[in-house]
Amino acid sequence: MSTVTDLLQQVVEGLGSGAVYASLALALVLIHRFTGIVNFAQGELAMLSTYVAWQLVASGMPFWLALPVTLAVSFAGGMLVERIVIRPVQGAPELTVVIVTVGLFIFVNALAGLIWSFTVKDFPQPFPDGALDLAGVRVDWSTLGIIGVVAVVMGLLYLLFQHTSVGLVMRAVACNPASARLSGIRVGRVLMLGWGLAATVGAVSGVLVAPVLFLEPNMMGGVLIYAFAAATLGGFDSPVGAVVGGLFVGVAETLTGAYVDVIGADLKVGVPLVIILAVLLVRPQGLFGRAAVERA
Amino acid sequence: MSEPTTDRTEGAASTEPDFLEVRDLHAGYGQARVLQGLDFSVARGEVCAVLGPNGAGKTTTLRALCGMVRGRGSVTLNGAQLLGRSPEQAARLGVAHVPEGRGTFNELTVEENLHIGAHLRTGLRRRGRAGRAAVVADLERIYGYFPTLRRRSRQAAGSLSGGEQQMLAIGRALMLRPSLLLLDEPSLGLAPLVTRELFEIVRAVNEEERTTVVVVEQNAQLALGIAHRAHVLEAGRLVLSGPAAQIREDGQVAEVYLGVSVRSRKAG
Amino acid sequence: MNTLTTALGTGRLRWLRAALTVLVAAAVAVGAPFYFAPFQVFQLTMVLLYAVALAGLNLLVGFGGQISLGHGAFFAAGAYTAAVMLDRYDTGHLATLPAAAAGCFLLGLGFGVPALRLRGLYLALVTLSFAVFLPPLLKRLESVTGGSMGLTVDKLEPPAWSGLAEDQWTYFVVLAVTAVALLLARNLLRSRVGRALLAVRDNESAAEVMGVRLALHKTLAFAWSAMFAGVAGCLYTWVIGFVSPDSFSFVLSITLLAGLVVGGLASLYGPLLGAAFVMYVPSVSQDLSEAAPGVVFGLLIITVMFVAPTGLAGLPGRVLGAVTRRLQRTAPLDRTPGAEPAFGAGPVPDAHPKSPAESGPSATVTPADPEVADAEPVGAPPRTEKE
Repeated sequence: MSTVTDLLQQVVEGLGSGAVYASLALALVLIHRFTGIVNFAQGELAMLSTYVAWQLVASGMPFWLALPVTLAVSFAGGMLVERIVIRPVQGAPELTVVIVTVGLFIFVNALAGLIWSFTVKDFPQPFPDGALDLAGVRVDWSTLGIIGVVAVVMGLLYLLFQHTSVGLVMRAVACNPASARLSGIRVGRVLMLGWGLAATVGAVSGVLVAPVLFLEPNMMGGVLIYAFAAATLGGFDSPVGAVVGGLFVGVAETLTGAYVDVIGADLKVGVPLVIILAVLLVRPQGLFGRAAVERA
Repeated sequence: MSEPTTDRTEGAASTEPDFLEVRDLHAGYGQARVLQGLDFSVARGEVCAVLGPNGAGKTTTLRALCGMVRGRGSVTLNGAQLLGRSPEQAARLGVAHVPEGRGTFNELTVEENLHIGAHLRTGLRRRGRAGRAAVVADLERIYGYFPTLRRRSRQAAGSLSGGEQQMLAIGRALMLRPSLLLLDEPSLGLAPLVTRELFEIVRAVNEEERTTVVVVEQNAQLALGIAHRAHVLEAGRLVLSGPAAQIREDGQVAEVYLGVSVRSRKAG
Repeated sequence: MNTLTTALGTGRLRWLRAALTVLVAAAVAVGAPFYFAPFQVFQLTMVLLYAVALAGLNLLVGFGGQISLGHGAFFAAGAYTAAVMLDRYDTGHLATLPAAAAGCFLLGLGFGVPALRLRGLYLALVTLSFAVFLPPLLKRLESVTGGSMGLTVDKLEPPAWSGLAEDQWTYFVVLAVTAVALLLARNLLRSRVGRALLAVRDNESAAEVMGVRLALHKTLAFAWSAMFAGVAGCLYTWVIGFVSPDSFSFVLSITLLAGLVVGGLASLYGPLLGAAFVMYVPSVSQDLSEAAPGVVFGLLIITVMFVAPTGLAGLPGRVLGAVTRRLQRTAPLDRTPGAEPAFGAGPVPDAHPKSPAESGPSATVTPADPEVADAEPVGAPPRTEKE
């Protein structure tokens, strides 16, 4: 019986980290839906947002006030990044855009180090200590909290996109920006909104993971790889895929680390690599993505 | 509804003959110059057909009218300069363009597509019960023109047939309440029955709403059937202009420029 | 492409100019170690070996149009091959070079095969994942690699007859290898492989139709570029005398790509310029703060992509082009705004530029490849996706 409990325990932990991967993957997918770009700097932007939160708290603001402020700042930041960094290269070949986001990665990472140094900082844990005991399986409140937050984010995004006019406009732009223009939609502004939204989701991801990984400029580097694997598995144009993919990657990582002795804890980072390779060789569009179509 | 052979020149509003005025339009893509100095006018409330063989520059003309292609010269709509504007700005000036290939939002439902069409009228400034009611009324109007769309209002646009998508595209353009409706090759890829129905609806819209229409068509017969005037392009230049009826009757013109065998017109 | 034609040389005047440049460059290169202090000579040596790595990356990225965010892994493979051979098997330095070269060539071939199935963005993801995976792997294979502690090996010893100091001798050895490598890269580009790569990069379907065997040449591109990186890694071991897994984190891969981009994609001198950046920017700005190099580098990369997407080496060519265009009476009509990338269909291929009204202050920016950005004239076949 204890092996099953152990297994479930690992699965629960995997779901917890999976939820974090899912949230960053969500940000990646949002960007990709709107601008067709994979933003290699998404994790660093999330990290920057987390530092903003940390700074606010360290300056005396209560955590539950710092959080919405951080989200607002992240939203504005995301909009700014689209306008200043991405817009100028919007029409450029894929390689150029990738390199710009890589450059952004390097810049933001170093910027954080410049402002806050590379020493590790403690980040407040928003969820209560302690855990639930479900039939012998220990479920931390923090794990539940993380999963809950991501679920709420998903719900809010769903409401936004399906039941608001802003969301409809955003979906239209994601679907066919040329036609959107013809209907008078200012596509540039919508793209800014999309990036702002993605940055906000990324900020959530950063804030969720910082208490666990400890805050330092390289915090999100590792998470990014897992988020990529999640988005690849789920399909880069599917928010649902991002979440499902994230949870799967999280569980796969934890189980592999726990049960496959050859891999162990240090080589767990090979799991995203294997997942990405497997998906790309078997079903490149991911579980929920559409098959890539030649533009007619 | 069958043949539209009545001379429609009489009915066209002649109060604003230069509602849309194109002067010395040069336009193209990058280094390739497609239009070599176009000059023509469209009166308000008129249906104007732009005809010509493949590659003559018909689509480029439409694109220049709504800001999708840059150019030199002048394009004014009711006095306002269109050339050099972006498509969004052109839309704000009342230009609705139905592009070649329909350009529907395939992932959105039919009704959502139509709502997007009314975007400019439901923006933050214009919100409010009156605004929303007007949009709902317009939806009804569109469904009146295109009953098929009402039946499929909750379906994804991508699942519609080509003809239905074309209807949807036109419907979306109409939701803008445009002063100028641009149609780019509406019959492309569609069955004859469907296209005839489509053109009849366009004629009806023009007659009921006095919307100015510029339609680019390879199927000259179809376009001339509902048009008041026609302009024929070849290699980026205007080679012929005149009342649609006249051009239709001129068999030589038709065969040389339009590839239409006039003799079989009445039989078709 | 201007730089390429200029460099390849057509016409006697160009030949003369090229020969002179080579002579001057050679004189400077040979004279340097006698003029500079040992540490500076060391830095120059590092620039040279980074240039080899970047020349290889250039083949893949600049000319082949594929993205690799994991070339640090091949660099590491070469470095470790040399280190293990020197440390465990006492083979002497000379033997390590062909071993590293051959080994990495094969490794690149192995990578090239799955890489075929991966489109640009996905290739970037896979290579990045591998680069992230490598250091822990190296640490795990402790018995071979020495684990986290790494391996220390002997550096090059100057022979008695040369009368040179260690840094000078090392410099000359690396200089020799670098010269051969750059020459090889240049010849590869002029060969069938190179022309095929360019054809594939510019228009893949057309290349396929013309008989270019895509699969073979893409794989070869990977293999060659891996080989160059491996040779550079081997040289690294010779120069530094120490390897450890943490020296080859994914940061190295990203830095390599960044350096290449800044120096100049698809240009012959780009790798040298880029290598200089990789070496000097960090060491110069490190005085300011530990993070300063990253800030500078990141900003540089972004700025270069905005202003001179062909990198700094391509700048003269672009300036020349812009000037010639102005001299010609007929200015080209502007780029066509129009169809945007199709979303929801996976990573996006070349997109057409956006509406001019959206450009704002960046209206004068030309995207990386001006020809690519122009919309096709009406009736032309649609642009296909770049893989």
